[in-house]
Amino acid sequence: MFSSGIDAVVPMLCVTLAALAVMGAEAFRARGEQLPLGGLGVVGLVGAAISAVLLWNRNAVSFGVVVADNFGLFVTLVLLLVALLTIMFSSTVVRRDGLPAGEYYALVLFATAGMIMMATANDLLVVFIALEILSIAVYVLTGIRRDDSRAIEAAFKYFLLGAFSSAFFLYGIAFTYGLAGSTRLDRVGTYMAAQSMSGNPLILVALGLLLVGFAFKISAVPFHMWTPDAYEGAPAVVTGFMSTGVKAAAFAAFARVFLSVFEPFSGEWAPLVWLLAAATMILGTVVGVAQSNLKRMLAYSSIAHGGYLLVGLVAANQVGKAAILFYLLAYAVTNLAAFGVIALLGTREAANDELRDYAGLWHTRPALAALMTVCLLSLGGLPPTAGFIGKWYIFSAAVSAGYYGLAVIGVLTSVVSVFFYLRVVVMMYMTDRPAAIAPPPVSAVAMAALVASIAAIIALGILPTPVLDFAAQSIATIF
Amino acid sequence: MLLTLSWLVPLLGALVLLCVGNRDGRRDALVRWLSLAVTLATFAVTLVIWARFDAASPEFQFVERHAWIPAFGIDYFIGIDGISLLLVVLTAFLSPIALLSSWGSIERKVKEFSIFMLALEAAMIGVFVSLDLFLFYVFWDAMLVPMYFLIGIWGYDQRIYAAVKFMLYTMAGSVLMLVAILGLAYLHSAATGTYSFDLLKLYTLDIAPQTQMWFFLAFTVAFAIKVPLFPFHTWLPDAHVQAPTAGSVILAGVLLKMGTYGLLRFSFPLFPEAAAYFAPGLALLAVIGIVYGALVAMVQPDMKKLVAYSSVSHLGFVVLGICAMNMQGVQGALYQMLAHGVSTGGLFLLVGMLSDRRHTRLISEFGGLKAVMPRLTAAFMIITLASIGLPGLNGFVGEFLIMLGAFRWDPRFVVVAGLGVILSAVYMLWMFQRVYYGPVTHEENAALPDLRPREWAAVVPLCAVAVVMGVFPTLFLKPMEASVNAVVQRVQVAQTLRAERP
Amino acid sequence: MDGWLGVIIMIALGVGFAAVMIGLSLLLGPHNPTPEKLAPYECGMPAVGSARERHSVKFYLVAMIFLLFDIEVAFLYPWAVALRDLGWAGFVQLVTFFLILSVGYVYVWRKGVLDWGPAARAGRHAARRAA
Repeated sequence: MFSSGIDAVVPMLCVTLAALAVMGAEAFRARGEQLPLGGLGVVGLVGAAISAVLLWNRNAVSFGVVVADNFGLFVTLVLLLVALLTIMFSSTVVRRDGLPAGEYYALVLFATAGMIMMATANDLLVVFIALEILSIAVYVLTGIRRDDSRAIEAAFKYFLLGAFSSAFFLYGIAFTYGLAGSTRLDRVGTYMAAQSMSGNPLILVALGLLLVGFAFKISAVPFHMWTPDAYEGAPAVVTGFMSTGVKAAAFAAFARVFLSVFEPFSGEWAPLVWLLAAATMILGTVVGVAQSNLKRMLAYSSIAHGGYLLVGLVAANQVGKAAILFYLLAYAVTNLAAFGVIALLGTREAANDELRDYAGLWHTRPALAALMTVCLLSLGGLPPTAGFIGKWYIFSAAVSAGYYGLAVIGVLTSVVSVFFYLRVVVMMYMTDRPAAIAPPPVSAVAMAALVASIAAIIALGILPTPVLDFAAQSIATIF
Repeated sequence: MLLTLSWLVPLLGALVLLCVGNRDGRRDALVRWLSLAVTLATFAVTLVIWARFDAASPEFQFVERHAWIPAFGIDYFIGIDGISLLLVVLTAFLSPIALLSSWGSIERKVKEFSIFMLALEAAMIGVFVSLDLFLFYVFWDAMLVPMYFLIGIWGYDQRIYAAVKFMLYTMAGSVLMLVAILGLAYLHSAATGTYSFDLLKLYTLDIAPQTQMWFFLAFTVAFAIKVPLFPFHTWLPDAHVQAPTAGSVILAGVLLKMGTYGLLRFSFPLFPEAAAYFAPGLALLAVIGIVYGALVAMVQPDMKKLVAYSSVSHLGFVVLGICAMNMQGVQGALYQMLAHGVSTGGLFLLVGMLSDRRHTRLISEFGGLKAVMPRLTAAFMIITLASIGLPGLNGFVGEFLIMLGAFRWDPRFVVVAGLGVILSAVYMLWMFQRVYYGPVTHEENAALPDLRPREWAAVVPLCAVAVVMGVFPTLFLKPMEASVNAVVQRVQVAQTLRAERP
Repeated sequence: MDGWLGVIIMIALGVGFAAVMIGLSLLLGPHNPTPEKLAPYECGMPAVGSARERHSVKFYLVAMIFLLFDIEVAFLYPWAVALRDLGWAGFVQLVTFFLILSVGYVYVWRKGVLDWGPAARAGRHAARRAA
């Protein structure tokens, strides 16, 4: 069982070590001393990224339960990018809001380690452990502003519903174990392949419970209720982190479990996921229209984007699987940058995340307004941005799998979503603020992160080929 | 390389402008001259293309093809034929004029305005030269963004409503086209094993009639919204009226042509059977649009709105010509597209000049301007007559050819369309009379300045082109002939071939 | 049946020993009942007032920390059982696990969670005031 080396867990290990180092440094920090804890985290993330690149094409397996195949590594790299950008944005926010730096960075890194574990797990129990590692860290991050009642409420809701969904998931694992006698994905897969004709109702129970567990984590409608509250209450940087990282990790595990293990039963779950996808896209956009708080609006938008990802999952063809990966990357960079802008505009006293706070931003902070516009256009799927290519990819997967209905729902909801993204643009560019607030200065690091994300968004929108090939390759190794 | 330059030059110009520091508008003059120079350079490039264009060949020329996203068979594939050539030239011709017109009226955020104008020009030219459906869609959607900002930031009172409406209407149409494009690529992969968005390859695709119907509708709704065909026209009066003058000129002059261009380039040749099925219905909508647009234009108190509705009417003619799908009809439609671009662009320009001076566009606020500003009156006269379709000016040739073509196809449409011609004379001349003739009814109007040199520079080319197009139509008809013939042949052959099929 | 005999003797011995001790204390012990002694839980705190009384957050902290370390230390037991089978690889893994725990422990310690005494608290207050 412990025959193989530890190669596959090295990226995770790097991140964990960085987190431990941050904790240690925080423990021995003299009172009032400022330590470059974020930099420490960055070192770990870069180390993890290097090791992930070195593991490419090697299909390393550690302990039989963690596989560093190209699919997992692609997601790992996306997650590392998410964590890196988060830390870069955080440098400003942590100092401004007086957040406990050591705890904050350590939690971000632990959550990242959990996410990477989730993306590379090859055993249902490991998926569960990873889910808990990342969830607990994220619950705490949600409520890290202890003096903010909204944040506490958000954290508590998130915790309760998260625990609830974990129970579903665990129950699903139990059923799967009862059926297949193992939680290892390959063995469960072998069992399922043999059972595909038997029509054993218990398989459907296991399938349904796992589906619900995952649907909670990716906030698919109707399991999305926690999302708007949690996203609105958490500090904007954390919202950006969890709306991209958690979603990417959960989707990776979702895709791995459903597209490999339960592939023989796709006839059973595809209609269900079809419904989930349609409901998610529609509700996410339609309710998003009515929001006046930007974070809440983007929360609904991220629900809708989960729906688009589900479309790729339903299509489940070669294109669809690669499309999920590309979309995850495009969405992660875009959404994170958007929340980064929100975070940078807040002050310690006021979050400045109401729509009306953005009035006339063009005059006071033209650069931030322009960057935000690019993010919103990318979220809306307008060329030439990463979001456009992502949607193109997803919908072409749907069309080539014959799901014209989903594709039409998808494109129509993206028009609706453009409506509410435009509301922000209207506020920033076309509404004059009676008394302009003085937005806080933006640190060079955070600005660099923003500019890098925008550059990535546009680069992915114009020359997506390398990344598309990369995504297609990473899919080719498994499934 | 030359064709790439035609859209790359304005885009690079926009990027250069982005780097010009212009805090507090200190370098507005520099920005204005720079952007004008860029558009003039673009115009020069397109003129070179026109000069080197081989009119005898129906093939696509100046073709460039580079693999872009090979996994999906997406190429950077551009080229022009007689249909797109003159539309590209028109775009490049109107852009400097639109920029010139904004020199007096756009005073804040000049740099951003110029950037958006240049980006818009790049996207518009890109739409006309793309031969890869993916590339086409990218330009088609990318064009919305600068136009949205132009209307929303520099427009008049209701600008936000108009901008959002414009954006959502157009997007709603275009995303359905997106699904159809993806469907086409999928059909191509089902037939040949590889994805392709190459227009020329897709032309040869044999699509089942039932599928054709759906795809044709998806494409055509996108284009019909853009044209705008009755009843999809409701965004147009808002957008035109609220846009700044430069935006209106581009919107009327070029953007509307994209809809009809799309019908001619994509809807009809890609889905000939469905086209044959839907053509009478489309023509009916077009004819309704002709009469409806004219009637509504007649009662408008606002000059800009009047011109906007006249566009609905005129574009109806274009669609009618395309639906006829014979040589005269299509050539006339294409000619009318160019003529409408020049004359309606000119009308918006001149109305914009009046509105800059008086800050109102209501017809009742004017009167007797002939004595106050004779030069502007003369220019307005030429453009008005051109728009009506007076022989010897540009509007006549197109309308005449369209009527001829439509008559050969189905005379009933021509009867109603003829009514539109008469009505257009009524509303245009009536407006002209109320604004320019009679006594000066408002004191403010008595001392309005006549055309300034800068405005001369914008107006004279338009009037000159209007006359040239009226007197030497062959100059413009010749290059389009071979290509139009090719399209008509393609559609007709496909229709007859498939009609014989059991 | 043989195998179970020892178990039964064990149970009998246990029960018998307990019964004998309780009986002896009843017979021999002095009987001076006071209210405190009759309280159901004799642990130093008077069992009066609301059951929903607020406790110092220290209690929760200690309880949680206990729980965490206790559960995690429970991993050591199966390792000890399977020590030979796991070999050096298992040893390295366990040491890693232990190191992670130690970092947590050091962190908790340095953060002052284990400082209960008034002296330590006063010291912290002084430092906070100085800062």
